[in-house]
Parts: sequence; structure tokens; C-alpha cells
Amino acid sequence: MDRGFLSSIELKTPKGRIYYGVTVVILTILALIVLFPFVYAFTSGLKGSLEVFNSGLNLIPQKAQWHNYRDAWEDFKMLKLFRNSFIIVTVSVLLRLTVSVMAAYSLSQLKPFGRQLVMLAFLLTLMIPSIAYLVPLFVTLGNLPIVHKSILDSYWGLWIPYAADAFGIFVLKSFFDRIPPDITDSAKIDGASSFQTLVYIVLPLSRSIIIILGILSFMNIWKDYLLPLLVISDPERQPITVRLFYVAKDYGVNLQMAAAFMALLPPLLIAILMQRYLKAGLTMGSIKG
Amino acid sequence: MKLTYALQTTQAITRPFSVLPYRLTRHLNGYLFLLPAIIVFALVAWYPIVRAFQMSFQEVSLIGESKNVGFENYELMKKDPARKIIFENSIEFASWSILLGYAVPVVVAILVREMRFGKGFFRIVYFLPSVVPVSIAVIVWRFIYDPDSGVLNEFLELFGIKGQLWLYDPKLAKPSIVAVMTWGTFGTTTLIYLSSLLDIPTELYEAAELDGASPLMRIRHITLPHLFPIMSLLFVLQILAVVQVFTEPFLFTKGGPGRRETLTPVLHIYNRAFGRADMGYAAAWSVVLVIVLVAFSAFYQIANRRIAARQEN
Repeated sequence: MDRGFLSSIELKTPKGRIYYGVTVVILTILALIVLFPFVYAFTSGLKGSLEVFNSGLNLIPQKAQWHNYRDAWEDFKMLKLFRNSFIIVTVSVLLRLTVSVMAAYSLSQLKPFGRQLVMLAFLLTLMIPSIAYLVPLFVTLGNLPIVHKSILDSYWGLWIPYAADAFGIFVLKSFFDRIPPDITDSAKIDGASSFQTLVYIVLPLSRSIIIILGILSFMNIWKDYLLPLLVISDPERQPITVRLFYVAKDYGVNLQMAAAFMALLPPLLIAILMQRYLKAGLTMGSIKG
Repeated sequence: MKLTYALQTTQAITRPFSVLPYRLTRHLNGYLFLLPAIIVFALVAWYPIVRAFQMSFQEVSLIGESKNVGFENYELMKKDPARKIIFENSIEFASWSILLGYAVPVVVAILVREMRFGKGFFRIVYFLPSVVPVSIAVIVWRFIYDPDSGVLNEFLELFGIKGQLWLYDPKLAKPSIVAVMTWGTFGTTTLIYLSSLLDIPTELYEAAELDGASPLMRIRHITLPHLFPIMSLLFVLQILAVVQVFTEPFLFTKGGPGRRETLTPVLHIYNRAFGRADMGYAAAWSVVLVIVLVAFSAFYQIANRRIAARQEN
């Protein structure tokens, strides 16, 4: 039976009903506060350029100016911004998943000599805040050791840093550890190489965790601001998070709001559509490793 | 035994370096799979971490040779007029963040847990701001905060509260920024508490109810003790995150509204490294910041363990 600290019977008493009602009201008000900026951005984006300044508490525009959204789309070159962000994020996620899966598979199944030390070195980066090495990272990307080439102002300068994800390696390793050895052993007996075992046995078994990690990475990299700000200085190639803020103040507030709302939509849609996976993913930190 | 035998012979036929002994190829193979991760981590984490220490003792030049200057960068830090203000700002930011945002997720999680309908709805709604890029949210929020035509002042006027300058007010700038940060993160924390609440066996509540414990007593003696370890962990994580905040003050106020009211350590590092191209000095700041943060969390862990041990006695 589903119950919290109150039982279902207690909830049916007058006191319980009042408590329940108050809870619903509090949570609904909180939900309205949380959603307010989204609604506000949407309706302000529909207002005229003067109306938006003196509409007071009127959320609903007098006459919806739908063309604001088309203007903002073109003025801010939203398509290009979305495309830049999409290229940066998609490749980063794919690269990150590939690197993490291979490393986790090796640590969990192949168990090479000295793996504890390697694992520790990965986890070290979780303990040291990334601000500690942000400046040297920038310098390193500007002058790669050995080859002496700069990958600043190129997407490689984002793809490679985003590919390093100790959290993902750790989560995947604990997941791979729970795959019954009988399954991988029988694959080996049938003559599968390590690579084939990974692709045909381990990956299909861990599809769910890989999807979760992929979505979480997608959202986190999409949100990031500081690294793309430093690495990509060419305005034609900057992601939406960096570029939109930079150009916003050159336009009217109603257009800013319209553009901001459009920029908010993709992450919101992903969060809503993928909430089933997200719920599992966000509490993943508490998985016993 | 038979199984191992079969396994090794088939391996010997198919594996790539079949002249080498099996054990060696197994380790080689393992490192082959680790190689991409090792290269990437070395390039973007391990090497930069070592370089951070090295750079903090150098006058870094991006084109020519960097010059070793010993402890000069650290000596300069002592004289930095911003140092004291940044320290105070960090403490104020952390206090505001704990004040405005620490208890909210706990209360919300307990309330949502009691919902018989619509749990999923509240969960997703509270979580939505966490997926929003900060730089986009700032565009919307700075208009909400706008002193002249912002909706917040208009709303407060309904209750007869005079309009405030918010982000432009040296006193209100910090709480205004922290409020936006809380809006952006409390949903994630709520989800963590919520999943922990679902782990509480309902039998505990039933037993307490039979023993005549009132609902408040059940929260006090069952719910909160269960949440306490996570609350204690999230407390220190929240402080660590707030002290390292960059994007919000950078975009909202640039460290202003006056001279340094919202200047944070990371913002200062950014300004020194990329505004004044003084990378060595910025590296020294990063090293000190990390040492302070690590020391703080170590101290917190030890104090926490002491308290827990005392409670058990």
C-alpha cells in the first residue's frame, strides 16, 4: 500500500484533508513561481516593443505579435546558433560515451595490470574542482604538447575536453561489474574477441545506462558556458549559450524574450520527453558502486 | 577446469598477438581499450593540473618562454586589495544560498512524497529550470529584476512595497543572484531527497503510528534521521558549488554593481587570466582556492564524524 508518514485513513479525517489541501496549494504556488519565467518570456515575446516596458502586471499581450518570433529567429540567426550547439554537443556526447565505455569495459572486464591506479587517476579529476586547472587547460589547448598545434577556435577544443568524464567511467564500470561473468565467458568460448564481446554482449545489456548517461551529458554540455566562451571566439561558430547572450542587448526586450524562449525550448522538451530516464539518472549518484 | 581449458585454447587461436604469452596480450589488450581515455585525461586533466602548480610559480608568456619567479605570485596575492572582499563575498554568497535554498528541497521533497496524485507532475516541473542554460535564463531574469519596468517591482507594489534596484543595489545584488541560482538547482536536489524518501520502509511509519506517534513526531524521528546523511553531504556540496560560482555574477553584474560586491574567486581568476593576461597570477589563485576548498571539506568531514561518533555514545 502506498503511504507516506500519513496513512490513507488519516488523510480522510478532517485534519488530514486540511493538511492535504494546504500541501497541494503550497506545491502549486511553488510550481507557478518556478514556471513563471518561462511563461513570462513567452508572453513578453508576443508584446509590442513599447508595450513590453509598460504592461505592468499584464502577462497577456493586448495584441499578440506573432511576427516577433519570426523576427527574432532571423535577427538572432537562431538556426545557425542551434546548429552550432547541436554539432558541439552531439559529437561531444558520442566521443564521451565511446571513450568512457571502452575505458569502463577494460577496467571492469579485461582487468589489466595496474587498473586500480588508473581508476584512481580518473577519479582524482572528480575530486579536484575543474576551476583549478581551467587556465592551464586553456593554455594547453592553445599549444598542444608534442605536436605544438592550437585547437582553440576549433570544435576539437571543446570535443576533447568534454570527452573526459570520470563520473561516466565510474558509473559504467559499476554497471559492467554486475554483468554475470558466465555471459561474457560463453562469448569468449565461442571465439569472440574482446571488441566483439563489448559490441555484441556488453553494450546491448547496458543500453539503459548508456542512454541515461547520454541524456545527462547532452543536457550538461548544452548548458555549459565558460568553456565555449573561452575556446570559441569566432562569432560564426559560437554555441547558442554564448552567442545569444552576447548579441541580446542590441535588440528590443520583446525580441530578446522571444529569442530566449525559443532557446529554452529544446532543453525543456528533452527534459519532458526523457523524464523517465532522467529520474533514474539523477539519483544514480546514490547507486552503490 | 575443463571450461578454463577450452577458453584458453580458443583464445590462442583467435587473439591477434598469438605469439605472445596469453597474460601479456590480455594486459596489452586492456590498455588498448584504456588508451583513448588515458590520452584524453592526460591532455585535459592530468597535465593541466600539474601545469597549474608550475604556472603559479611562473610569469607565463603565451608566445615566448615563461619565466620562473618563485613565490612572487603568491606574494602578490597577499597584497591584492580584492582578496579580503572576495573572501567576504564567498562567505556571504554561501550564507545566502544556505538561507534561501538549503531547507527548500527537503520540505518540498517531504510534501511531494505525501502526494497521492500528481507526484510526477511536480517532480518534472520543479526539475525544469535545471536543464535551462544559465546564460539564457539570465536574459529573462534580468528583465524580471528590471527596476523600472520589471514585473517583480510591479508585483511587490501590490503589497505596498517600494520598488527596489535589485541587481543594481550593492546590498541586494547577492541575494538576487542567489535566488536565481536556487531557482535553477533546487529541483535536482529535491529529486535526490525524494528518491531517498522512497527508500524508507512504510512499515516504520505504520509501527510508529500504532505506537501513537503523531505525524510531526514521525517526521522528526523517522523521516529526518533517514535524510540526515544526504542532507549533510549536500550541505557541503552546496557550499563548494556556490563558492565556485562564475556564470551568474559574470553575466548579471560583472562583479558589480559597484566595484566588487559580487566578485567571486572564479570571476577574479577569469578577469586576471583573460582580462589582464596574467596567467601565472590566476594559476596561483586557483591553487589557493582549491587548497582552501579541500581543507574546508576535509575539516567538515572530520567534524561531522566527531559529531556522529558522539551521538552514538
